[in-house]
Amino acid sequence: MDATFSRLTMTAASAMLLLALVVLWRRHVAAYITAFRTQSIALAFVGIVVAWYGHVPELFVVGLLILALKGWIVPRLLSGIEARRDGVGELQPLVNTETSLLISGALAVAAYEISRPLAEVMNLPTRGGLPIALALIFVSLFIVVSRREAVAQIVGFLMLENGIALLALLGAYGVPLVVELGVFLDVLLGVLVMQAVVYHIYDTSTE
Amino acid sequence: MDSFLVLALLTPPLVAGALALVLRGTPARVAWFNAVTMPVSLAAAVAIALRLAAGGAPVVVGDTWRLDALSALMALLVAAVATLAASLGPGLDPARHEAPQEIRTFRLWANLFAFTMLVAVSTGNLGVMWVAIEATTVTSALLIPLHRTRASVDASWKYLLIGSVGIALAFTGTVLAYVDYATTGGDVNLALHWTTLRQAATALHPQVARLAFVFLLVGFGTKAGLVPTHTWLPDAHSEAPSSLSAMMSGVLLAVALYAIVRWKAIIDLAIGSSFSDSLLIVVGLATVAVGSLSLLSQTHFKRLLAFSSIEHMGLACFGLALGPLGVFAALLHLTGHALAKSAAFLLSGRVLQRFGSGEISAARGLLATAPHTGVMFAAGIFALGGLPPFGLFLSEILIVRAAWAAGHPVLTGLVLGLLLIAFGSLLVQVHRMLFGDALPGVVRGERASVPLVLLALPVLLLVWLGVSIPVPLQMLLTHATTAVRP
Repeated sequence: MDATFSRLTMTAASAMLLLALVVLWRRHVAAYITAFRTQSIALAFVGIVVAWYGHVPELFVVGLLILALKGWIVPRLLSGIEARRDGVGELQPLVNTETSLLISGALAVAAYEISRPLAEVMNLPTRGGLPIALALIFVSLFIVVSRREAVAQIVGFLMLENGIALLALLGAYGVPLVVELGVFLDVLLGVLVMQAVVYHIYDTSTE
Repeated sequence: MDSFLVLALLTPPLVAGALALVLRGTPARVAWFNAVTMPVSLAAAVAIALRLAAGGAPVVVGDTWRLDALSALMALLVAAVATLAASLGPGLDPARHEAPQEIRTFRLWANLFAFTMLVAVSTGNLGVMWVAIEATTVTSALLIPLHRTRASVDASWKYLLIGSVGIALAFTGTVLAYVDYATTGGDVNLALHWTTLRQAATALHPQVARLAFVFLLVGFGTKAGLVPTHTWLPDAHSEAPSSLSAMMSGVLLAVALYAIVRWKAIIDLAIGSSFSDSLLIVVGLATVAVGSLSLLSQTHFKRLLAFSSIEHMGLACFGLALGPLGVFAALLHLTGHALAKSAAFLLSGRVLQRFGSGEISAARGLLATAPHTGVMFAAGIFALGGLPPFGLFLSEILIVRAAWAAGHPVLTGLVLGLLLIAFGSLLVQVHRMLFGDALPGVVRGERASVPLVLLALPVLLLVWLGVSIPVPLQMLLTHATTAVRP
């Protein structure tokens, strides 16, 4: 049972990290949004797996909320921003694809090194995924700093949030529900405000 | 009684913000209502502060709300600056001809912004505190481009993105500490309360605690304007409308430092204070250096004030690492800075309005054209430069003394040098504004008015702080210090 639990969470966590790497070599915003949506679905899956095997019923609610908010509402908002963006062409990252992938590799190694003390003190069956969560956090940070377009930066920020949620799910079976709900509210409000500011940017640049 | 106090503290901004949304077509009434409700919040904060200064029990409501002396001090600062900003913000001066939509937008978001800061300092749950501090970014970002220009929109985006990412890193730290606590097998439901975490601190694993603190320092440090993630601050604080700049510079930075202090108190119990102290000393000194060395080259007076905020936050951060005396001095410094910087930013709004430009060179002859504003602006700048008889002089001396007492003679000299540079730069800059001949077309003369009287209050309080610390404040600061650095 623990073996299945561990394997399921590891697989989903790895998929989440791979989906962050997808952003590094794709050049179209639509691909970014799809990667984020798929990643969020994987996160919701982790939530539900932890709820089932870890016997934390409230995580079912959290999993469904992730699915609704990050798997559906937020990607729709992002597509709305993309539709308003002029110059629909390819994104021009500050760092080329090869270098990006190399840096991400280094970040993943660093994440393993940094999370070693954490994995040592834990005895949960999910602990194997912790370095992956930390690697996802670092790679997402890199996405934010290496992209120029606002939409791409927002996707990086949202993937960072996904990484932290993964860390909380794998490390402690989620944070207390009141905090979890507050985080959801912040994400939703944050993306709405980011959308508003990005629209201001588009408006002032065409004037 | 406790629930009444917390209710009176938190609901006024919420109600005033909701009214701005609901009441259509009467923006002036919304603004007036806001100006009379915020003092309720301030009165509650004063009542709480007086009780804790007298050694009373913390104000506790349910599991979520908990105000000890440190929280009471911060709530007092936030409520005071928010009251000042509410009574001087858009919508109250008919001579200004502001657009109704602008007034409403400001009143809605500025109140929510004040509310989130009050929640952040009134909660005993570090998770809720994080949620509230993240929300401060969201609630204030839309107000920066109130007057929509390319520069203000860009500043808003920079602030929103760097602030959100930074605060996400702080959440990583929060989660790491929580994960660590969960492995010790404590009661998970109360795990993020600082009282619980402090009791369990000795069971935390040193390496995990260290890792968590680094994330927390970088994360909340971003919001506090600490180097190297301070780059959003000069743009955001200078492009924002002045009443918002006053709140962002005067208290939001202090609220972010408050979060660091809360976590430091836990981590110190787990691994001893030398780790966090040395980090804060390095980051603090680097921040003071960047802030004070940038002052002289500024050409825009609101950017000048923004860089001065960076310098003062660095100094407070440095003080927090210097033992009990340093913590006391840093908290006193944050108090003085909240008064001086909010007054200076609000006054800079008046200067901007008078001269129609934010350039220092365009605001020549300030004393001759607007004598009252000019004198108070000069007083604010002198206070920020650390000149006696203002409060910041005293706290700066205390921080320097604490550095000496903590056995850092070289660092003491370094800080003194940087403070002198900051003082000299501010003096040169304000001299450029006060004297000289005003540009043609600038209206001369100024009549005494209610806003001027309100603005004189923080300046007079600063003088009071400089002459002697009032006994209740001293008691409050002492209790706050022992709570985090016994």
